[in-house]
Amino acid sequence: MVSLLRNQKVRNALLQVLYVGSLAGMVLACVMIARRNLAEQGITSGFDFLFKSTGWDVNFSLLPATANDPYWWYFLIGIVNTLFLGSTGLILATIVGTIVGLARTSSNELARLLGRTYVDIFRNIPLILQVFFWYAVITHLPTPRAAHEAFGILLSSRGLYVPIPNVGGVAFAAAAIALIAAIALPVWLGRTSRLNQPVGERLGIQLTGAAAALACAVVILAVGRLPDLALLDFPALQGLNIKGGLRIPPEFSALAVAIAIYGGSYIAEIVRGGFKAVGKGQMEAAQSLGLSPWRVFTLVRLPLALRAMLPILANQYVWLMKATTMGIAVGFTDFFMIVALTINHSGQTLEAIGILMAGFLAINLSLAAVFNRINKAIALKGNQLRG
Amino acid sequence: MEMVVVAPPAPGRLEDLRRRFLATPLQALLSLVSLAVMVFLAWKLLNWAVFAAVFTTSGGPVACQAAAGACWSVIAARWRIILFGLYPFEEQWRSALACVSVVVMTVLSCIPAFWTGRRIALVWGAGASLYYVLMKGGVLGLPYVGEEAWGGLALTLFIFVTTCLIGFPLAICLALLRRSDLPWISRTTGLIIDGVRSLPLISILFTFAIVLPFALPQWLQGDKLYRVILGSALFFSAYQAEIVRGGMQGVPSGQEEAAMALGMSYWQRISRIVLPQAMRNALPATINQFVVAFKETSLVVIVGFFEILASGNAAYGTGDWRFAYVEVYAFIALIYFVFVFSLSRYGAYLERRMAVGER
Amino acid sequence: MNSTLPSGPAVRIEGLDKYYGSFHALRKINLSVERGEKIVICGPSGSGKSTLIRCVNRLEQHNGGRITVLGTELNDDVGNIDGIRREVGMVFQHFNLFPHMTVLENCMIAPMIVRKRPRAEAETTARRFLEKVRIPEQAMKFPGQLSGGQQQRVAIARALCMQPQIMLFDEPTSALDPEMIAEVLDVMVTLASEGMTMICVTHEMGFARRAADRVIFMDGGEIVEQAPPEEFFTSSRNERTRQFLSQVLGH
Repeated sequence: MVSLLRNQKVRNALLQVLYVGSLAGMVLACVMIARRNLAEQGITSGFDFLFKSTGWDVNFSLLPATANDPYWWYFLIGIVNTLFLGSTGLILATIVGTIVGLARTSSNELARLLGRTYVDIFRNIPLILQVFFWYAVITHLPTPRAAHEAFGILLSSRGLYVPIPNVGGVAFAAAAIALIAAIALPVWLGRTSRLNQPVGERLGIQLTGAAAALACAVVILAVGRLPDLALLDFPALQGLNIKGGLRIPPEFSALAVAIAIYGGSYIAEIVRGGFKAVGKGQMEAAQSLGLSPWRVFTLVRLPLALRAMLPILANQYVWLMKATTMGIAVGFTDFFMIVALTINHSGQTLEAIGILMAGFLAINLSLAAVFNRINKAIALKGNQLRG
Repeated sequence: MEMVVVAPPAPGRLEDLRRRFLATPLQALLSLVSLAVMVFLAWKLLNWAVFAAVFTTSGGPVACQAAAGACWSVIAARWRIILFGLYPFEEQWRSALACVSVVVMTVLSCIPAFWTGRRIALVWGAGASLYYVLMKGGVLGLPYVGEEAWGGLALTLFIFVTTCLIGFPLAICLALLRRSDLPWISRTTGLIIDGVRSLPLISILFTFAIVLPFALPQWLQGDKLYRVILGSALFFSAYQAEIVRGGMQGVPSGQEEAAMALGMSYWQRISRIVLPQAMRNALPATINQFVVAFKETSLVVIVGFFEILASGNAAYGTGDWRFAYVEVYAFIALIYFVFVFSLSRYGAYLERRMAVGER
Repeated sequence: MNSTLPSGPAVRIEGLDKYYGSFHALRKINLSVERGEKIVICGPSGSGKSTLIRCVNRLEQHNGGRITVLGTELNDDVGNIDGIRREVGMVFQHFNLFPHMTVLENCMIAPMIVRKRPRAEAETTARRFLEKVRIPEQAMKFPGQLSGGQQQRVAIARALCMQPQIMLFDEPTSALDPEMIAEVLDVMVTLASEGMTMICVTHEMGFARRAADRVIFMDGGEIVEQAPPEEFFTSSRNERTRQFLSQVLGH
């Protein structure tokens, strides 16, 4: 027996079996105990509850939602909310981060100082504190009766009210897709491999594409327009509350602003790192070719910097998506809050936790897949830059 | 570039300023805009925070509401609740002393003389036990104060320290398991690490605080505070494990071979040869991870703990101070800022120092 | 294992096979090294010579055949592996000194934690061997502050501090600048003259002439030829050996 234990192969096998076995045993024991405890409370395990109606409301949803809807629909709402908040925060944070990051790499000392101050302040204060702060700011705004107003937009403690077109839901979605296409099409067409025309003619084609997509959007809006109503629905005060327009609730704005500011400070550092990674030699080569400063920037500096920052940026975006779970702090019904509410109301603890893990795994993996593709598409061929 | 060539050997101060900020029209514009933004913000901030602010508690909330600037009286009136939460009033000196012990411990562990495994463990062990004895009492004539009464900054620091204290050794274990030669061990550990990393911290805290009691036998459940700390330590260790592993990958394989050839056992190789070098490689990233962990302690507010953020909410949320939320949040932000900023500056300094050392 | 030395050769290798995946790195190697014998192994790169000596202290695990070191068979028994590594010192091409320890600590650590020698004794031994490799004055420096030749001599001292019965040298001079090779070879020659059992993988044919009892030529994972140095250099029978020798000695 002793000599058997001294045998390396036997030892290795034994260690592996012990390790995996004890971990699996622990998980299994936990699940069994949980099932028994839940059964005592009259909760049957299984995923049947997904098709029961919830009986509670969500305060924010892009999809139609009533308390009669089944749980699976609510989970979907949660995922859509998370993705919506995540992508809003992601876009805003990228804009903020790019501006601050460019300031930090600028040749102007004052601009650099300004950028650095921004990063130092907002990076070093926890995100959730910033969420609480902005939420408090918004909910302490004047009541709807004394709302701030500008360009038909109303800002009050009830949230931000913006005008929206009076169109049906389907038409609205279709128009949104067309609008995105109007931006994406020129970019897609601009990739050299797609068009063989020289640069000058290419621009015309790109513009035509964008115009066509825009026209599509207008036509869709006109066709899908609801009868007997003005094209744009402006929010207006009626009694004690504001009616009409699209209401962006304080929860959403607070989260989006906080994520944009906090995330922006991180992205600024990534942007700065990306530009720092571009070798001096590359820029000097471009300058010596007689390119204008703008051309040096757009043709050499930016593309190389983008390649350097993209992998890190991808991690940051995944992190931002996960940061949407702060929604629960102010009561925004993101995916996690839906899960928490489900556990509270239905008691289907294990199933809900399973769905939570699966949901985030899916979000993470799909984001990672998207970024891997982009990364591969723009990666420099060979390793001439790594030397 | 060309300007440098034609420049006179010793430009005057004005000339120097001109060249730095007004070299081209675009530069001048950028300088002016930046300067304007800075002056405007600085003036607004100073005016709000100092010139137009109310500092005394004598007037109470009423005097504040009339003022145009900040109402620091709320801090003067409520600082005890923000720092110590619901800790018994006459025992709050203990809470303060406990916070000091944690700060001293952190400062000590930033000194290179303490960077051996044994010394760092000693410092952290001593700091944490001192904290625990001071806070909990029940010995040395200190009245007993249960965990449910801990709060404010003291609780935040406790969660941070225990998270690191549990999470760090766990991270090293996970890193070692993940780089094991035995495929099943490394794969299973990889699965655990990647799984934890793909989840948001809040969901882990929630699971440990609220779901775990269902899944554990009665005798294993423990206090909610310690379950949450365990969850946060697990999260910390999953990230830190990858940092440690990265550091180990930076140690040439010849190091371990040489140790093997000298007859050292696995644990001797790891503890004497691989880890000391790996930790050195991983130091900047590790400090960064500590910074992140400190910021993330604020998330326990979501599972219902009375740490500094929650006590801040309570400080302005009750009674007559409802309007003074900006001041309270600014105060808490300042506390976080002091801790996080100094730690991250220190990390940046170390990184620079090591970069020079490698040349 | 220390006091009562079993009789028989220091290292006996019988029918040794080693694969890396499907690559057959060592093919049925048979080799016996007597106590006190000095062996030089040479051959073109990729011939398996480094792999062979790394099998002797199990830095590489062999796939077939038997290796017996000092009477103990090298198999899956963990105790045997530990025991053999204690008695077999090794010097690497890239020195592999521990950069976070001083030269002295490098030499003391293994005797202290593996052989459980008290600190004072370990230090005395370390200083004695540093003297022997002629760098006693560098004891308190860190490896990064030394030249390549000095580092390699420290590495030799470090291995000797374990007071091994067999020393393995894996291309000890290949990573050195030419002017430093001599100082390392001198130490090795001294060591050889004192009767240490040595297996050296090296291309230094001068060293082979001066110190080796037997030179082994390997190619394609096989021992092609082995002979005492005089015979090996003057009248080797094999075509591959002659070609190799002309390349190494030719310039």
